[in-house]
Amino acid sequence: MDTVELARLQFALTAGAHFLFVALTLGLATLVAVIQTRATLGGSPVHQGMTRFWGQLYIINYAMGIVTGLVMEFQLGLSWSGLTEFAGNAFGSALALETMIAFFVEATFLGLWIFGWNKLNRWAHLALIWVVTLTAYASAFWIMISNGFLQNPVGYRLDGGVLHLADFGAMIANPAALVAFGHVLSGAMVAGGFFMAGVSAYHLSRRTAEQDFFRKSLRLGLGLATPALMVTATFGGLGFETMQVTKLAAWSGDLAEAQAAMVAQHGPGDWLPPVSWVQWGGNGMMALFALMLLVAAPSALLMLFRPAVRGLRVWHWLLVAMIPVPFVTTLAGWIFREMGRQPWAVYGLLTTSEAMSPVSAGQMRFSVIAFTSVFAVLIVINYWLLARAAKAGPGAVALGDRPIETPAPVLTF
Amino acid sequence: MEIFVLAFFALGYLVLAGADIGVGMLLPYLGRTPGERRETIAAIAPFFLGNEVWLVVTAGVLAGLFPALEAELLHENYPLVVVLLLAWVVRDMGLWLRGRVPGRVWQAAWDGAIVAGSWGLALCWGALLSVVALGIQGPLLVLPALALTALFGTHGLAFAALRLRGVLRERAALLSGGAGELRTFALTAATLATVGALTGVRLEPVAGTSGALLVPVSLVMIPLLVAAQAWVWWTFRHRVTGPSYL
Repeated sequence: MDTVELARLQFALTAGAHFLFVALTLGLATLVAVIQTRATLGGSPVHQGMTRFWGQLYIINYAMGIVTGLVMEFQLGLSWSGLTEFAGNAFGSALALETMIAFFVEATFLGLWIFGWNKLNRWAHLALIWVVTLTAYASAFWIMISNGFLQNPVGYRLDGGVLHLADFGAMIANPAALVAFGHVLSGAMVAGGFFMAGVSAYHLSRRTAEQDFFRKSLRLGLGLATPALMVTATFGGLGFETMQVTKLAAWSGDLAEAQAAMVAQHGPGDWLPPVSWVQWGGNGMMALFALMLLVAAPSALLMLFRPAVRGLRVWHWLLVAMIPVPFVTTLAGWIFREMGRQPWAVYGLLTTSEAMSPVSAGQMRFSVIAFTSVFAVLIVINYWLLARAAKAGPGAVALGDRPIETPAPVLTF
Repeated sequence: MEIFVLAFFALGYLVLAGADIGVGMLLPYLGRTPGERRETIAAIAPFFLGNEVWLVVTAGVLAGLFPALEAELLHENYPLVVVLLLAWVVRDMGLWLRGRVPGRVWQAAWDGAIVAGSWGLALCWGALLSVVALGIQGPLLVLPALALTALFGTHGLAFAALRLRGVLRERAALLSGGAGELRTFALTAATLATVGALTGVRLEPVAGTSGALLVPVSLVMIPLLVAAQAWVWWTFRHRVTGPSYL
């Protein structure tokens, strides 16, 4: 593999790993915020237990999202300095706004939410999780504005060989960004909903003593995932309206016309994305959507019948088996979107090989191997921990266990 | 104006995260038993997440306001930045994971990750600041890098002396001599900020063209961000009295 391909592999693996965790973060944050609202308003111990249990899983998952995300942020300058030099004045603004308006607040308040448990006023504590959730959405919004700019650059001015931001309004009104934001956010709700439903189904299949706890959770998970699936599909359909001609051509297999048009515009060269990646990504995403709909729609009916929720084991196992499906679908969708943008880094303006930093093949090999092996180990450990905490159930949750910084009772003899 | 936005977040990172990095470096010295180590971690636990985001914003500000500088700074120091990121990842994971499974081996391994990651971060920052500020490469780089690493450690001790109690507090006060805890911390913080500022001067950053948008946004956001962090500082203003969530 040459250096550009190594750099692409490195970014793809980091971004892919990041999004596995981000999708669940966005979905679970929403669910935890809703549950904590009910717990704060009603004061029921079941809802309080649910807040702690799902909150614990949310935090295990969140930590991995942060570390992959920060490596991704730095990779833009490390391996793609051609991109930052050429387009930084335009799409870099969205990245800066993401860190300043969204992520800084999200991380600060998440820390306060975790460590301030039982220490802060309960309404303040509730407000924190809502701010964390809304800033997570805002974070996704600004990232999709940056990504949308790369997919469909608008609102820029080309001057002195580099891009400048000419029309901020146009940049944030970019349909390629807004539609994708809706798609990504609702897709994350699907992932969070199926996760909650699947973990609850696991406990119900084991005849858990916490019937009320997991029945409520299962209904909440499916109650979010089912409508979110429809919203995701609607935004996905709209996405085809804003799609590059070359991506559409690669997906439909009707290539000649798009290639001819690109040659006329940009001169001789291969201007088409890798067809099999685009087709597998796009078709895989849609096939898995159909599978999820096939499971979610009847499940949304079944969950209304208490005996089924309590005892229909086949259904429980099906829901457990469905937990990974939204994540695979999400990755397929990203492969479709990002492979379909090739060979461009900024569509129509800067190619991926032009976007590359002048780093040596040896340096790139070192970082690919180092990041990939460290993240591979950490992902395995974190998924194991997530499964372990999910299986252990509400009895073993450390989050909000006792007032933080209050010593454990000392045994006296 | 752009340069002040960059300096604000970069220096904020050095002073705030520098303290929790230093505590991580000296974890084996401060905490001799598993219980003591957990209490030492509780000194930084509520802060580290809010501290490291200052660097995330610094990188965001670089990307938005100084895209040419960001590209140059990062890819020209490629191996150093890669190791810095790996150290950061390993250290964060140590902090998050150490308490997830009971058992001495598990906790000792992740405490090791915290210590190694903190040393890695301090050494990489020391080297990176030295490369930029002094323009030196090669073996001679080790000297200023080690001096700055020692500064991170001292700053961490000063912070730990403010946060811990009893024997842990006494250990942390090792280098303070007769000076008050707050004054020692102010001194190490000011030294780190000065090193950062001098390095920044040597960079001669040239701003890009997004200032008209990003500078006003920054000026509105900065007071809000400081207020959010101040809420954290106020909530955890008392000395640590026992283990935290981590």
